[in-house]
Amino acid sequence: MTPSALPAGLLTRWLRQGGLMAIIVLYTLYSALPFVWVGAMSLRTTLEISASHFAWPDVYHWEKYRIAWVDSNFAQYFWNSTLVVGAAVAIVTLFGAAAAHCLARYNFRGNRLVYFILFSSIVFPPQIILISLFQVLVEYNLYNTRLGLVLVYVGLQLPLTVYLLEGFFSRIPQDLFDAAKIDGYGDFEIFWRIVLPVGMPAIATTVILNFIQLWNEFLFAVVLVSEPGLRTLPIGIRAYMGDYFQDIGMIATGMMIAVIPVVIVYAFFSEKLIQGMTAGAVK
Amino acid sequence: MAHVQLDHIYKQYRGTATPAVDDVSFTVQDGEFMVLLGPSGCGKSTTLRMVAGLESITAGALSIDGRAMNEVAAKDRDIAMVFQSYALYPHMTVAENLAFGLKRRNVEAALIQSRIAAASGILGLDELLQRKPFALSGGQRQRVALGRAIVREPKVFLFDEPLSNLDAALRVNTRNELVRLHHRLGATMVYVTHDQVEAMTMGQRICVMNKGRVAQIGKPLEVYRAPADVFVAKFLGNPPMNIVGARVAVQDAQPWAVLPGGTRLPLAHWGTALADGQAIQVGVRPEELSMASDAGGDDSVLKGVVSAVEPLGAETLVVLDLQEGGGEIIARLHRDTPAALGDRAALQVRPQALYVFDGATGKAIPVEIQA
Amino acid sequence: MTQPLPLALAPAVPPSGLRRQLDRWFAPPEADSRRTTWPALMLFLAPALIIYAALTAYPVVRTFYNSFFTIADIESAKFVGLAHFAELARDKTFWAAVRNTAIWSAVAPLLDVATGLLLALCLYAGVPFARFLRVAWFTPVLLSYVVVGIMWVWIYNYDWGVVNAMLRSVGLGSWARSWLGDPNFALAALMITHAWKWAGFNMVVCLAALHSLPSEVLEASELDNCGWWDKLVHIIVPMLWPTLLNLYILAFIGKMKVFDLVWIMTEGGPLWSTETVSTYVYKRAFNWNTFDLGYPSAIAVVWFVVVVGFVVLFNLLFRRRERLEY
Repeated sequence: MTPSALPAGLLTRWLRQGGLMAIIVLYTLYSALPFVWVGAMSLRTTLEISASHFAWPDVYHWEKYRIAWVDSNFAQYFWNSTLVVGAAVAIVTLFGAAAAHCLARYNFRGNRLVYFILFSSIVFPPQIILISLFQVLVEYNLYNTRLGLVLVYVGLQLPLTVYLLEGFFSRIPQDLFDAAKIDGYGDFEIFWRIVLPVGMPAIATTVILNFIQLWNEFLFAVVLVSEPGLRTLPIGIRAYMGDYFQDIGMIATGMMIAVIPVVIVYAFFSEKLIQGMTAGAVK
Repeated sequence: MAHVQLDHIYKQYRGTATPAVDDVSFTVQDGEFMVLLGPSGCGKSTTLRMVAGLESITAGALSIDGRAMNEVAAKDRDIAMVFQSYALYPHMTVAENLAFGLKRRNVEAALIQSRIAAASGILGLDELLQRKPFALSGGQRQRVALGRAIVREPKVFLFDEPLSNLDAALRVNTRNELVRLHHRLGATMVYVTHDQVEAMTMGQRICVMNKGRVAQIGKPLEVYRAPADVFVAKFLGNPPMNIVGARVAVQDAQPWAVLPGGTRLPLAHWGTALADGQAIQVGVRPEELSMASDAGGDDSVLKGVVSAVEPLGAETLVVLDLQEGGGEIIARLHRDTPAALGDRAALQVRPQALYVFDGATGKAIPVEIQA
Repeated sequence: MTQPLPLALAPAVPPSGLRRQLDRWFAPPEADSRRTTWPALMLFLAPALIIYAALTAYPVVRTFYNSFFTIADIESAKFVGLAHFAELARDKTFWAAVRNTAIWSAVAPLLDVATGLLLALCLYAGVPFARFLRVAWFTPVLLSYVVVGIMWVWIYNYDWGVVNAMLRSVGLGSWARSWLGDPNFALAALMITHAWKWAGFNMVVCLAALHSLPSEVLEASELDNCGWWDKLVHIIVPMLWPTLLNLYILAFIGKMKVFDLVWIMTEGGPLWSTETVSTYVYKRAFNWNTFDLGYPSAIAVVWFVVVVGFVVLFNLLFRRRERLEY
């Protein structure tokens, strides 16, 4: 390489690179440090924390995790969340995929109308259905039940599911369906044997997205379930925070327990998840 | 206008074993239309982009108009480029597309308008000025891309396969328009293509590239008539030159090419340049072959079985399978040639039309005795 | 298209209307695989539509209905006409909540999208570990609001929180405040926390959009004497406009409905400086000394109309009609 031309050009290049690195480092710290701080606190006792809030744990109190899990009913909250979210995600995926397939594949009058109706509810603020859902659940004896919450969750995630899956399904080449028709497959068989397997990437993405959104869902869980034994995890943590008001160490441990499943799912599926979340927004 | 000089230019991407561009040197004279020709992956686009400043130069010296350009930013090189995909700004009208580069350079509005008017006149863009790219056809977009380059009045025009996205008829028209444009502007143009027809018809000189290296530089007809190696020989010409492996047999101090199967072709003009037993490749262009008359002798006659006949209307292509390991020969024959699949046929070769290439390296072995 | 019947089997008289309709519904499977019978369509759509009708459409209608009543308990409902709406106009807390939500929805989306674009440009410019950073910066998006809320309550803590500790350590102790306890700063503090959580999402979407830009157009702009600022203003932002608009609308809708974070961190306090429409609806419905579901329904109705109205308005105003084909 011939020696560089103007030193000024080199200087601005270094400044720009340095500036870029500074922004990146600062933002990474900004993003990650709160998390690291809570993680550190989760392994220290509250006494240690009160003495010095920002120190790294010198003794790793792993038993705090056990205490939080066992004594504070976290196992119950975890279980409730798993049941409710698992059931809701399963149901919304099935119902949503069926509807999405129908909208994507078949021409019928009112196709776009139905799609618009299902999709536009993404915009609705939750308060517009919060109070009446409360009333409905009470009237049908579904208040304070996990089943009631499951149904509400299915309703909440249906628009997004239909939107994402319809977009993907409509891109499956028509030839596949024509060939299946010639082979004598009926409509339902086509859905079950062709669309679901071929659409698996999109379905997986929707499952992950729905899982994470519902796992963290707070508003409807707090309104529609009041029984302590049926609390889902976010409500459980909040109650936990109320119970342990000043016990920062334990609260930190509880928070870490709540976060770990999400981090694990994310660690395995980060690419899919990011793709899924950007799917609708990039035009 | 300026001349462009590349001295031993290298480009190696990090993490690759072989360089993408390997010791390329050539000079484009002021006002010349130079074509970089080669198959895909040969490094011609990379070379062009290095001239443009869109790729960094790993080693070697690039100068435009005598000024060293290695470290100069693309925008300061005073060059304009027409991309393969035209790269028009989709959110701007044609007029805005044309004006954009000039506005960024703080050219005054009146001058911008006059240049746009001039370019639009030359390229016939007047009715299109207020349209956006999505409302234009491929050919129209291409002209806008050209216009964008013209209004810049740069020292050098660079073209990166601009015709490959056009349909065949439009390509022929646009080819001629580009040649006329070059005449009119007298600008230095460097043009990259994989289409040898474009190279032959448009270039004043062509630089054939292969695997990152320069295979040959010269005027189109010179390169056609005197290819430097087998690659260049086969790349130019459609159908490509026939190449057959052979051995040299010297008899009575005269070299002969002996093909597998025994056919002998006289190589008198090569004199002592060839040694007995040397492995060579013999080349002959399809248009130099003719149907052998029965009266001729056995030398300079290629015998075989017809394996394909392609009547094209203006001429007929006949593919002859030489058998016994000789390979296939394509000949361009008169349109009324009676040939049918499976016939035994014989093709006459004019000794002066033969080319000899080294058996191992493929490099051309020039004649010793001029005809 | 049904196959034409062989002449011998064709009925002598064309089938009557009912027969024809039944035939169409229960005819053998269509040869055209884009059309099918109504029962089949219903099988696919019914589950989703039933759920939608029961748990979204009906509740919306019912909330509208509720807003005209005073519902003191589950059984009784007293018709009051537009009284709730009249009261709403006079309700100081409601207007405080509207003001807060409006500020949030007006300011935050711009910051969100700008930050997202800026971060995405940093990664797009090509830095080491870009893939790791992309994954790392996205993590706060996945955390529950409960976790994020508690984290930041601690960060904002007056005695030992990170913010005040940093200020004190550089000698700016006089600037230290009780960030969530001071009505002047609480809303801003919440907005920062919310932005912290969502920046990664905007970044990831912008990055995907950046990568979808045709590189040759950007190169052409380089040859047209564009520095990075010119490129950003004249090429990147205009070409990314649909995506940026989408992000803005998403952020706007999100801020209009924000509840979880506020509830965890301040419950609307101090002194209604962080009260949002959502928290107010919740309080009036489930946390008020007089139980009445009608009034909060009225608030919900008003807010619903406002949000949907804004979305429609945005689309009409800013949706560029032509497709940016590239």
